[in-house]
Amino acid sequence: MTTTPYETKDSRALKVLTEIYSDNAEPATLVEIDRGLNSLLARVSSVNARRGRATWPIAVAALALCAVVALQVTSLIRKRMPIPEPSQLTYRVDGGRVLEGGYLREAGHVGVNVTFNEGSQFRLAPGTRGRIREVVKQGAHVAIEHGTATLNVTPGTGRRWLVDVGPFLVTVKGTVFTVSWDPLSEQFGLNLQRGSVVVSGPVSAGEIALRAGQRLSVNLAKAETVITEDNAEESGSDAVGVSVPPQPAKPEPSSSGASNEPTEASLPHAPSAKNGERRWSEELAHGQWDRILDDVKRVGIETTLAEASSDDLFAVANAARYRRQPDLARSALLALRRRFPSSPRALDAIYLLGRVEEFRGNGTTQAIARYDEYLTRAPNGPFAGEALGRKMTLTETLEGPARARPVADEYLSRFPKGSYAGSARTLIRVQSSSP
Amino acid sequence: MPIRPSPVPLSLVVNQDHRAASDGDLARGLMAGDTRALAEAWRRYAPMVLLLAKRTLGSQSDAEDIAQEVFYRLYRKAKRIEDPHSLRSFVYAITVHALKSELYRKKLRAWLLFEQPHTLSGLGWKTVDMESRDLVRRFHVLLERLPTRERLVFMLRRTESMTVQETAASMEISESTVKRSMTRASNRLSRWIEADPGLASMFDAERWRR
Repeated sequence: MTTTPYETKDSRALKVLTEIYSDNAEPATLVEIDRGLNSLLARVSSVNARRGRATWPIAVAALALCAVVALQVTSLIRKRMPIPEPSQLTYRVDGGRVLEGGYLREAGHVGVNVTFNEGSQFRLAPGTRGRIREVVKQGAHVAIEHGTATLNVTPGTGRRWLVDVGPFLVTVKGTVFTVSWDPLSEQFGLNLQRGSVVVSGPVSAGEIALRAGQRLSVNLAKAETVITEDNAEESGSDAVGVSVPPQPAKPEPSSSGASNEPTEASLPHAPSAKNGERRWSEELAHGQWDRILDDVKRVGIETTLAEASSDDLFAVANAARYRRQPDLARSALLALRRRFPSSPRALDAIYLLGRVEEFRGNGTTQAIARYDEYLTRAPNGPFAGEALGRKMTLTETLEGPARARPVADEYLSRFPKGSYAGSARTLIRVQSSSP
Repeated sequence: MPIRPSPVPLSLVVNQDHRAASDGDLARGLMAGDTRALAEAWRRYAPMVLLLAKRTLGSQSDAEDIAQEVFYRLYRKAKRIEDPHSLRSFVYAITVHALKSELYRKKLRAWLLFEQPHTLSGLGWKTVDMESRDLVRRFHVLLERLPTRERLVFMLRRTESMTVQETAASMEISESTVKRSMTRASNRLSRWIEADPGLASMFDAERWRR
């Protein structure tokens, strides 16, 4: 890094912080790049279709007028009304005490309960190691290093709550949820009873938004992320004070006979694991697709499809997709579904089969069918937004905007900030304005 | 069978592999409105744009929106590319412009709606320990306090390792303005770091002072 003589040198603390900050931002994953490209192309094609209808000057003028009025009104309000300051947030600890660094130590073996003056509660289950990192007027920042905790945040106070749970960060406003983290097995679980939260951390989607009744399970060791739907009414009874122990990723129920399904442990060694190594998922993450495909060629496609683990089949499928080998990708995904029908990967495979069908050319109808199947079997799965968005785009291409309209409406009601939201709004606008 | 001339004019369609195309070829493809060139430009430069936007805005979803906007503008404004071989610089310039607008928009929104700007939410963490994440979060709050131009200059110079000349070109300001903004940003941040109780406890003020 060059610094010109006229610039001040950074202090060492600033230098160190800048390095930590820069290094911490994760580069975009292949899924993100792929998803972004789809959104971009959809936007470009819809705008190209509408080109020529120059109504924007009127819209811009109206917008400018609104902005001027809004500015005037706000300026007047600001002069007359001071910005409301939230009251100081304080808390009381029952069943234990606060140590240096905000760590909570339980007095007996009944857990610790922290009650805030505006009504919110943070309850640690017995044996849980947690701490209060920061309490300010604008909200609180708590952390769980291992174990289980329940947080009941009083809604409507406008405060922001942050919960560090192992490597995950949960951002909340008014809500009730139970969260757990087991550092040994690297399992994270969140059971949301009321409200909504955003979970960020080492998950492929970057950020996961959850709504009431949903349970998120992440197994970092297996690189599995599963969102399942609970019955919100039933789970409401154990909203506060009842802990849920860390649980392994819960597989989706399968219609096929899951009892005959081989487990990872009972499988013969996967081709990539023969020497105790298992690198395909890692190679996939580093974009080394050719290396994976070379391995498959060396071991043999049939052997790979018959013996590889679900993770390896998934890696092969993705490497083949990225290298434009739809037949191999399709075979790997079908093998994954056939051999591991109740694994979470099998659900992802349905969505990816849709993507592969799209790539195969005349497979639009089959792709829509795959997306429908995915949406039926995993309505709140990690690819639900993508599946619905792709279905909308393909339906518009295949059958026109009128037939795609209901899909666009559904998309916007479920994913108003999703990556296809812009395309959905454009579609609705175009469809509404057409005779 | 007699050979009859085709009534339809025939043309040779060459299946161009854009992955092997140079920046100049891509820029020319974009100028011609070729969406395949846009797709390849995305594959080539979206990771760079996303990373810069993530670092600047501290939000994964905001970064994705910015990347969409940048490449959409690239497609629509490709005809303005003066030197096709400087596509990368053109993409950077659009990105910086989009980021500047977004930062101004956020400040205006905060002012109009009396709301505090959101601090770092979904950056996609590499480190898993809470202390490092806390450092990152606190530092991001300090970056948010910087004036927009100083913040962008700081990001380009320090996290993107751009030279003064490159920063000036991307931001369309003079080199002396870059230097002045960088000095101010550096001084402000150093002062705020020392004044931040959370950061001060992690960095011994005497030991870390320049």
